[in-house]
Amino acid sequence: MQVTLTHYLVLAALLFCIGIYGAVSRKNAIGILMALELVFNAVNLTFVAAGRFRPAPDAVGQLFALFVIAAAAAESVLGLAIILAIYRRRVVVNADEMDLMKH
Amino acid sequence: MQAVLFYALAAALLVSAGLVVASRNIFHAALWLAVALFVVAALYVMLGAYFLAAIQVLIYIGAVVVLAIFVINLTRTVVGAPVTLTRRWVIPAALVSALTACLIAVALAKSGLPGGPAPDTAGVDWTAALGRHLLGDYVIPFELVSVLLLAALIAAIAIVGKDREDEK
Repeated sequence: MQVTLTHYLVLAALLFCIGIYGAVSRKNAIGILMALELVFNAVNLTFVAAGRFRPAPDAVGQLFALFVIAAAAAESVLGLAIILAIYRRRVVVNADEMDLMKH
Repeated sequence: MQAVLFYALAAALLVSAGLVVASRNIFHAALWLAVALFVVAALYVMLGAYFLAAIQVLIYIGAVVVLAIFVINLTRTVVGAPVTLTRRWVIPAALVSALTACLIAVALAKSGLPGGPAPDTAGVDWTAALGRHLLGDYVIPFELVSVLLLAALIAAIAIVGKDREDEK
């Protein structure tokens, strides 16, 4: 049996949904960020698979995945820095207790 | 042979990703995230994207997961205590996830994508092609990404470094 583009897309879709579930259900902000990394990886897998299975394969799919990885690295650095700053100030890590901007 | 490898990797990926979101201990979740990212790197190798697989291991496992573990250790009060998922949110989360799955399934069914095996690209050097793209027609996004990373670096130092001045 051959592995086709649909196999990769279904796998990436399942990974995406697991990541979405984690991002919504987690209370811990670090857990939310980690679930978002799963979502980014699902999208990257889609990009790379789509680039590879085109009738005329090229490297542009991999190129987009590379840009997504760079953006995800910047996102996780800033997210973790903000979590750390809030923790130092308020000693909370749960997203529903971070209500500094409400008051 | 390839199909067997794909299904084995897919199963490993889904199990480890499930444990990332379901694990009660946030530290275990971070370790399962490293496993999941490594399996994605293996899938990149299966797709012929060797450079991307190396980048995945270096940046995701080497930097992002290690950074997450650092922050977990610095916010130590939660490491021992299990991270409890609120029961209230599990059903809405599953609902959102299922609806996303429906959306993707409908899009996939309607898209009419090529169904056959991958075109033969035995002699193509993807890393060289990627480098030519990065310094050729995609040089402006490439430079913008470096500016983005620099801005993120400065912002992270500014956000975390501020507190120390307040304490003095």
